Amino acid sequence: MEYVSPEGLRLDGRRPMEMRQIRAEIGAVSKADGSAIFEMGNTKVIAAVYGPREVQNRNQQISSHALVRCEYSMANFSTGDRMRKPKGDRRSTEISLVIRQTMEACILTHLLPRSQIDIYVQVLQADGGTRSACINAATLALADAGIPMRDLVTSCSAGYLNSTPLLDLNYVEDSAGGPDVTLGILPKLDKVTLLQMDSKLPIDILENVMQLAIEGCKAIANYIREVLLENTKQLEYRRGV
Amino acid sequence: MGLSNASEDLSSEMEVDAFRRLFPLRYFERHLAESIRPDGRPLGKARETSIFLGAVASANGSALVKIGSTTMLTAIKMEVMTPSLESPDEGCLAIDFHMPPICSPIVRPGRPAEASPVVSKQLSDTISSSRMIDLKELSLVGGKAAWMAYLNAAFSIMQDIYCLDADGALFDAALISAVAALSHLQIPAVAMNDDGKIVLVSGEDGQKPVNKEKRKLTLRSIPFSLTCILHKNYILADPTAEEESIMETHVTIVLDTSGQLISLYKPGGPALAYTSAIQDCVGLTGQRVKELKSYLDKENSAMEVVV
Repeated sequence: MEYVSPEGLRLDGRRPMEMRQIRAEIGAVSKADGSAIFEMGNTKVIAAVYGPREVQNRNQQISSHALVRCEYSMANFSTGDRMRKPKGDRRSTEISLVIRQTMEACILTHLLPRSQIDIYVQVLQADGGTRSACINAATLALADAGIPMRDLVTSCSAGYLNSTPLLDLNYVEDSAGGPDVTLGILPKLDKVTLLQMDSKLPIDILENVMQLAIEGCKAIANYIREVLLENTKQLEYRRGV
Repeated sequence: MGLSNASEDLSSEMEVDAFRRLFPLRYFERHLAESIRPDGRPLGKARETSIFLGAVASANGSALVKIGSTTMLTAIKMEVMTPSLESPDEGCLAIDFHMPPICSPIVRPGRPAEASPVVSKQLSDTISSSRMIDLKELSLVGGKAAWMAYLNAAFSIMQDIYCLDADGALFDAALISAVAALSHLQIPAVAMNDDGKIVLVSGEDGQKPVNKEKRKLTLRSIPFSLTCILHKNYILADPTAEEESIMETHVTIVLDTSGQLISLYKPGGPALAYTSAIQDCVGLTGQRVKELKSYLDKENSAMEVVV
């Protein structure tokens, strides 16, 4: 199948180095300490952060730093066919772990000893790049909750199809079986917190694909900063500062 | 001078907040004595309500409903099924209500929230007893003998309701979103392929559909509900989660658009309801039904304009 036309356009009309339209909204869940909705094209996720709060299971309490927990789940209607078992399957468990480890790398857990931070992510619509969208939503939700972080974590995927590096793969491109690199970075510190790759890819091409994903992450970081800044201005306005 | 005033305001604000946390019932009762609630609403007034149809692109019908902060997202997926022997010419409606841990600090991962199965059951009972949907409409029958093998097939409506923010009156919001999604639902056209399997008909295929073209369900009298709290002599319509936790006697009344009483649910609670109080609740529900019907009609007509 041809994923990039001779004119250099992808199936959804984007250019190879073009991202899908992104949209973010802070404070979607009133009861949560922090929450956010993040959309990348047709992929829509909602994240909520509860904490820092008392550790539910005392056996898990850590005296030196905070315990970070994460749960990723997909709504039954999020994919083309209705899902029978949206929670507790191996894929969800793996993505939950990936998000937790990625966020743990940026949260200053030592400032919040003997406490627990819960990050819950729900996919409402899935069209490829759900784990990237979830990490971006979780970052916004953590910032909204006022959890101290080293830097924002932003994530984006890139792939290699029809001998062309492609940025921000959608479901059709993701399912093509080609290499898929998911990258998470701390943009200001310029450090990588997450790097996952499926399928074989020559090392020289990996560098190009990775560089493309980094550019995507940085673009998302700029957008997230704008959203946070706008949200802060609104809070100031409401409080009459 | 201005600075000292600001600090005084802050200290009094802190005192109010502390009083609210330490003595929530007394705090609420002080407001009730003035016939107003802490959020500024009169006792019988529901929170601001909004309905958005077509919120989920991957579903056959969907709706996002907000009542105050309470947010429900409902999406419907149509599936082809073999009907039961008792009703071979009817489809079915399955409703699942989910409370993921994002919706409330009380809900934790692992064990499902206590309210989930209760609300699921209530919704199923309400929608079936209201006879809003004629399940025969979901039957797939071909007019020719060639379709005989498929005569006993029907659509099943798989309705998933996700609570994204739980701030009281969950059943009310879930019912509105379920009804709104059903009003937005488009039954897809299907055909039988060479293998005898049912497939969705796309425009380019030369297949002849088993059922009519994409169409909407015919909804008869639509049910809407209102949850009220009974506390002493007061009736509070559409409670928030905080109000529900403090004042424990709830009454949920479901009326349809023709004014018929569909169900009445009062699960215990310390306050014993007098007949007059129940009648007052029914009166408030009647007003609320008219209000919600107009919201839904407005949203449906707006969707038609877009289409």
